[in-house]
Amino acid sequence: MDRKVAIVGYKQTKYLEQNENPRERMVMNLVQSLLQDMKITRDDIGTFILSCSDFQDGRTISECFMIPWVGAYMKDVSKVDSDSANAVLYAMMRILSGNYETALVVSWAMGGSEFRSPRVMDFELDPIYERQAKLVNEITAAALQAQAYMAKSKLTEEQLAALAVKNLRNGARNPLALRKKADATAKDILSSRPLASPLRELHAYTPADGACAVLLASEEKARELTKNPVWIKGVGFCQDTYYLGERDLVKMDSLQKAAKTAYKMAGITDPAKKIGVSELHTTFVSQEPIFAEALGLIPKNAGPNAVSKGALEIEGKTPINPSGGPQAANPLMVSGLIRIAEACTQLRGEAGEHQVKKTPRLALAHGQIGMAAQHNVVFVLGN
Amino acid sequence: MRNVAIISVGYNGRFVAKRPDVNIPELIQPAVANAIKKTKLKYSDIGVVVEGNMPTFEGINYPHLWFSDHIGAAGKPVLRISTGGTTGMSVFQGGYYCVASGMFDVAMVIGWEKHDEGDAQVGLIGIVLPEAFSMFQFGPDMGGGGTGMMGGLSSTGGASFQALSYLHRAKGTPDHIDKMAAQARSNAAKNPYAHLQHPNCTAADIAKTPMVSYPLRYGHTCPASCGACVMLLVAEEKVKKFADTDRVAWVKAVATASSDATTGNLVDGQINDPAEQAICEKIAAPKAYKMAGIQNPKKEIQMCEVYDGFAHQELMWPEKLHLVDNSCKAIDEGRLAIDGDMPVNPSGGVVSTNAIGASAMVRVAEASLQIMGMAEGGHQVPRRVKNALAHGWGGLFQFVTITILGDEPVKR
Repeated sequence: MDRKVAIVGYKQTKYLEQNENPRERMVMNLVQSLLQDMKITRDDIGTFILSCSDFQDGRTISECFMIPWVGAYMKDVSKVDSDSANAVLYAMMRILSGNYETALVVSWAMGGSEFRSPRVMDFELDPIYERQAKLVNEITAAALQAQAYMAKSKLTEEQLAALAVKNLRNGARNPLALRKKADATAKDILSSRPLASPLRELHAYTPADGACAVLLASEEKARELTKNPVWIKGVGFCQDTYYLGERDLVKMDSLQKAAKTAYKMAGITDPAKKIGVSELHTTFVSQEPIFAEALGLIPKNAGPNAVSKGALEIEGKTPINPSGGPQAANPLMVSGLIRIAEACTQLRGEAGEHQVKKTPRLALAHGQIGMAAQHNVVFVLGN
Repeated sequence: MRNVAIISVGYNGRFVAKRPDVNIPELIQPAVANAIKKTKLKYSDIGVVVEGNMPTFEGINYPHLWFSDHIGAAGKPVLRISTGGTTGMSVFQGGYYCVASGMFDVAMVIGWEKHDEGDAQVGLIGIVLPEAFSMFQFGPDMGGGGTGMMGGLSSTGGASFQALSYLHRAKGTPDHIDKMAAQARSNAAKNPYAHLQHPNCTAADIAKTPMVSYPLRYGHTCPASCGACVMLLVAEEKVKKFADTDRVAWVKAVATASSDATTGNLVDGQINDPAEQAICEKIAAPKAYKMAGIQNPKKEIQMCEVYDGFAHQELMWPEKLHLVDNSCKAIDEGRLAIDGDMPVNPSGGVVSTNAIGASAMVRVAEASLQIMGMAEGGHQVPRRVKNALAHGWGGLFQFVTITILGDEPVKR
């Protein structure tokens, strides 16, 4: 690979329980404002990669009516039907091939108002056994994963609640977030509606309507378009085996493999030291220490220690999800793209109230789909 | 840019209407095994798997999470791409970019559909119905797909409009569509993997079938098939190591373009007509020819595989791809037959076999088999195929994808 790819611009909508606009207008406004900010037109974009889901949009070929609204009329378009971080990966590969100089990635979902999980997530289950048995769904899978981790690392329910408190407080500092609780306490979390032990409503992500757009460019073009491009230093993706019983839910093989590839590409040997901030697609807050360990951001079984020392807070040593993460707002599959946009915001020092103390040199963004994060994508970004 | 070669193609077997004997992983697995069998590759050599189908047709979201275990893809990077009718070729092009970008040396691409596990018509009406509801909610200035639906624009309604518009422009008659359908069905009889095989089918046989929506008859429409297509793509420097044949098919060009979904919308000063296909004629095709270094497609390309969900499209697309001036004349002169000077769909095409998520990929697969000289059962084009074109369309007559293959790599 002799080319380098940069993220030159990004834009998010405000995340709402119900957007006042239909998705077409929501996405059009978003893309228009990004293009205006970048001072370019849609004709400057080489290829469009969309990321949306027929199930989450409730329509077959969900991008079909969106083509004019994303500005892709008479243009080159493809669609990734997976977490939107995969779409950035595909856009990046298209630029690396030398066929394109710029790529716009757009993802949207009406997770708050229209297709609320877990109902829609159940369609991910294999139709023969698991969907019929009605035992596994995204909540029970994450609960099993949380139980396994708590048994192994001795993380307590109070510490789990403290993590949720952290994310809700971070969310209060993020102007785009939906669920904000600046004065949240562990008591609030532990008294919220139980879902599946040990998980409760305030441990879970907040379904939201929203969209995000990210503009990628080749090295030459990036320097033309912006003064402070964010470089894609490393990327890795991997998919684990499907059945929960065949996976080590705590060890997270696929995440480890994805991270290993990304770190190798970025030339990082000590991620805990090198990576200044991480944005992880954690559907439930219990996944935060599990992912952090698999990613090598904290040592094995160090989750409880990191929580009680406040290492994962915005001001801490290893800040995770300063934006509040999916606990603050989660438009389903858009989440991966939001994590990438948020990581860029941190690297550029533009995050405002939720900016980490020391502007980082390297940031990590993560996307996932599947029960208990079966499929993982890891990006290492740097300026 | 790295050159990429197709070293092997695998089908699960003959495409058929119903496969009650297998589930989805069992349908796909033999295609993977058949593709790998014809190479020197091991499962562990495959760097990335790219996959796609129409998600709503079987009612499974992200089916790759589930079936990847059964094709040796667990623990590997898996990318899912889905773009309606063009899915197969979008997946193929995804695999192409995985290798061309330098990120991977070997990519496996899978296009599949198991139509007997769902209802394709329910899936298809799901394209326009939500748009109509959206109009009721937010007002008629929304996309406008609802108007199309109320005018009968399901896939067959839209296709009959397209057919009439095409015949008018090309000065053809419905008899030409009968002839084209008869050729497709007869070609399919020479392809052991085709679904609707009708040896020596004549235009009179097709003309006897019931009318569906003028000018389209039952005999002009495609079946709903079950099947999977797998291809293995390898970077130039690894071809010798992994290919088991001297004749591989090189990817010379990939192109894609999309337009508005709505028939009758006034966009950029012209009314959107599904028979117009400026995205193909003016955008994607010129781009593909430029990338492949082809100046005169009529002479330099020896055969094409086009996506013909309805028989009139097999006439229309070669014109839009600049391969034939007037297909109605060409079919009268027999130029589109397997032994003609521009064979169109020797495999029988989509009108004879349509497993939607696989169909556009099968076009590339068939084009590559023609270049490798490996088309089985008598549908191999007799003269040497140096360059072949594969085409796919999708959405509401609004997406187009083109891939050009050659028997030697482009010098870049």
